[in-house]
Amino acid sequence: MTSAFSFLKKLNLLGKKSVPAKNKPAAEKKPENDDSPILSERLALIKKRLGESNDVVIREFNSSNDNVKLALLFIDGLVDKKMVNDNILQPILSNTIVNQYTEKLTPENALELLQKHITSMSELSLAPNLTQALKRVLSGDTAVIIDNEQQIIICGTRMWEKRTVAEPETEAAVRGPREGFTETMRINTSLLRRRIKHENLRFETMKAGRRTATDINLVYINDIVNKDVLEELRRRIAAIDTDAILESGYIEEFIEDAPFSFFPQIEHTERVDKAAAAILEGRILVMTDNTPFMLIIPTSFFQFIQASEDYYERPFVALFLRVLRLFVLNVALILPATYVAVISFHQEMLPTSLLLNIAAAREGIPFPAVAEALLMEGTFEVLREAGVRLPKTVGQAVSIVGGLVIGDAAIRAGLVSPGMVIIVSATAISTFAIPAFNASIALRILRFPLIILGSVMGLYGVIFGLIIILIHLAGLQSFGVPYLAPLVHGTIRDMFKSIIRPPLWMSRRRPDMLNLQQQQRQATNVGKRQVPPDKRELSHEKMEENNAGKR
Amino acid sequence: MLEKGKISPRQSSLLLIMALIATSILLVPAITVQQLKQDAWLAVLMGTLWGLVTLYIVCWLGSKHPGQNIYEYTQTLLGKWPGKIVGLIYAWTFLRIVAIVIREFGDFMTTSFMPNTPLSVFSISLIFLAAWAVLAGLEVLARMNEFIIILVISSLFFILSLSLNNWDLTRIQPMFTNSLLSIIKVSFIPEVWAADSITLAVIIPFLTRPRQAFAAGTIATLFAQGLLATGIIAVLAIFGPFLLQITRFPILTFVRAINVGQILSRFEVLVMVVWVAGVFIKASYYLYCACLGLAQITGLKEIRPVVLPLGTVAIIWSFSMFENIGELETAVSNPRLAPLLQYLGIPLFLLIVTWLKEKFDKNKPRRRRNEKAN
Repeated sequence: MTSAFSFLKKLNLLGKKSVPAKNKPAAEKKPENDDSPILSERLALIKKRLGESNDVVIREFNSSNDNVKLALLFIDGLVDKKMVNDNILQPILSNTIVNQYTEKLTPENALELLQKHITSMSELSLAPNLTQALKRVLSGDTAVIIDNEQQIIICGTRMWEKRTVAEPETEAAVRGPREGFTETMRINTSLLRRRIKHENLRFETMKAGRRTATDINLVYINDIVNKDVLEELRRRIAAIDTDAILESGYIEEFIEDAPFSFFPQIEHTERVDKAAAAILEGRILVMTDNTPFMLIIPTSFFQFIQASEDYYERPFVALFLRVLRLFVLNVALILPATYVAVISFHQEMLPTSLLLNIAAAREGIPFPAVAEALLMEGTFEVLREAGVRLPKTVGQAVSIVGGLVIGDAAIRAGLVSPGMVIIVSATAISTFAIPAFNASIALRILRFPLIILGSVMGLYGVIFGLIIILIHLAGLQSFGVPYLAPLVHGTIRDMFKSIIRPPLWMSRRRPDMLNLQQQQRQATNVGKRQVPPDKRELSHEKMEENNAGKR
Repeated sequence: MLEKGKISPRQSSLLLIMALIATSILLVPAITVQQLKQDAWLAVLMGTLWGLVTLYIVCWLGSKHPGQNIYEYTQTLLGKWPGKIVGLIYAWTFLRIVAIVIREFGDFMTTSFMPNTPLSVFSISLIFLAAWAVLAGLEVLARMNEFIIILVISSLFFILSLSLNNWDLTRIQPMFTNSLLSIIKVSFIPEVWAADSITLAVIIPFLTRPRQAFAAGTIATLFAQGLLATGIIAVLAIFGPFLLQITRFPILTFVRAINVGQILSRFEVLVMVVWVAGVFIKASYYLYCACLGLAQITGLKEIRPVVLPLGTVAIIWSFSMFENIGELETAVSNPRLAPLLQYLGIPLFLLIVTWLKEKFDKNKPRRRRNEKAN
């Protein structure tokens, strides 16, 4: 493990370019110089810096006793206007509130008084200068600027149109919670906090993107997570120096170990339960603002054949499904190539009657098997892509045309043989049965070179291609964890767990390959169904608590 | 250090299993049965014994020279230049095995599966893969092997279990029709002899726990030779010694004979898959040992520059070494002196030198201590 890390660090020293230049944008402009506490100058500066954007609202006003000149600054659409009116504007403007204090509101004590007494905000902070304040304002906070006061009061008034929590469409499940992440970071953190009510759950904030200033949260459990991985992740995110982060896919590309690999090295999920399970397993979740897709780090390949549902159904169901997915994965990758190789080179492999049937069906087909395969696979990919992008109503038409073209017309026209259609459709269905889209698309791409290799060198060519893929996969790492772990480089326990999902009361340890601070997941006597004496009281308490809630 | 990665004893064990069974499972049955009839499997068991001797010497040497492999401690033991020459002998041996392995592989493919394809296609493509794997490093090689070995071992067990209904164990009787001497003689054929444990001498310093090398090696040797013996018993029990003498690749014939309920049949391709995967690992492993050796002897900082040249040499060597498959078979089916020296003689010599040196060195401090006491 240690050696893996040193290797990884070295790789990064080579790969990543020098210092994380976080301060660069601020350093370029140097706005602090012309930032003066006088309100009129400040407002002029704000107008200069923000331009004439119509969503910028500047409201100048005086306090009710006319002693203090103030201005409100916020972005329309990002703030809760009712909150701004009721809790900031109204108290300062109303005589009764301002005058109820013994101290009179004067420019000298305005900052303190406004902060401590007058505005009724739960979230309130101070910004030392205009640049800091503008950053907060652009995120949806409201700035209260006081004349002749260097510091600016920032009120947390963020509120904008949000998509409600909905069922994740890309990862539908038969059983399990229907909640998926949304585009709003705060909703997402609350979804997680509701699932893991532990004091050690941490949300660590980072920012990336010069112009988008996207919030990134690292979510982990402090006393489980592998600190080396966490440190490495922080370093890699801090090293991102680009102008825009629009989706977690951007971050994925910036931080992954091998950017030129076909295979996804970081898993993403929209499901809250899956994310929570990953965090509890000792992995780190990278939340990106404005996207429901969360990254799970580190990732190994076998995560892509696991679904959260495996843990909600019976263990045998999970075992069956995992074996099925593993099989399907192989089918998706090698079935067409194997077919082409067998038809072109190894006819002796097929039972005689089947061989005769295939030969009869191929009679009159003008193309060699490889051309047939590439044609049909290509057609399928085009159809799939068209189906994804089109509106649903038109999509049906595509599927009808596609079904006819693939299914019937191509055969009748003598372009392809029926056998090839079966192979292509079996492959197509297989690719859809892999839970992770990004993993299945990697396999779909790799299918084409394999078909060509199979047509050139027969099955030897297919194996040749597979070995190349294996060399690549065996060399991959995701944050120090080998990509093929736990099948490779793992403990026997992990190895079994990757295919067999043990009954929950038996899975006492977290994955060994992650090298966590605490490997033990649960008490050793869970299977015996005895309440340990020291926990008995606790469980009663819990029961009462729950009942109270229900009443 | 040329190699930065570390592998676990389990990984080294699996690598050794692969190196042991990859080629022998196909060739050894024919070789041994031709000479020993139904006693063939006894020679394999005997070979295990010699393999364990080699293994013990190698591991003992490794434990006496911690952090050094055979290329390095030969230099500390014998002096710079003689050590380098001995090291070169080993690098040469390993490279020769690469050449033999890819030649065996190419001949197998051209005679059994793709008769119209030239031999060079297989040699070149296999060395291409092996070179790629070697460049990726020992760690990657070990990981790949972990993946492939599951495939290989499970396929072998699958094949063996499917044939169980055809077994007739009376065919391996009577036992000990050959003299013990002839069995021992056959057991010294390099392919029969579990001598691949000599490669541990190269990779022991790269183990995470070098002390467990002997245990790992023993498990590997016993398992691989056990599987090989089982394989020989299986082919003997099905075909009998007389039919086997005229088959070139008994396991292949054996698999062709499998037909369970008209459905489970025609598994030859499985043999090919196993063979390609196994030979790939074995060739990469030996190529790695050879490349590392040459790099260490010449004092290079990394292995990269020697991989492609040595790969090319192996390809050409594999063409020029034998005229045809018949010659190849005769060459690998007779015990010769050179392997005996490489696998037993030189390690034994190194062992004695180490032992003498140690004795010589130990005496000095003891004398000093005595002097002080006096």
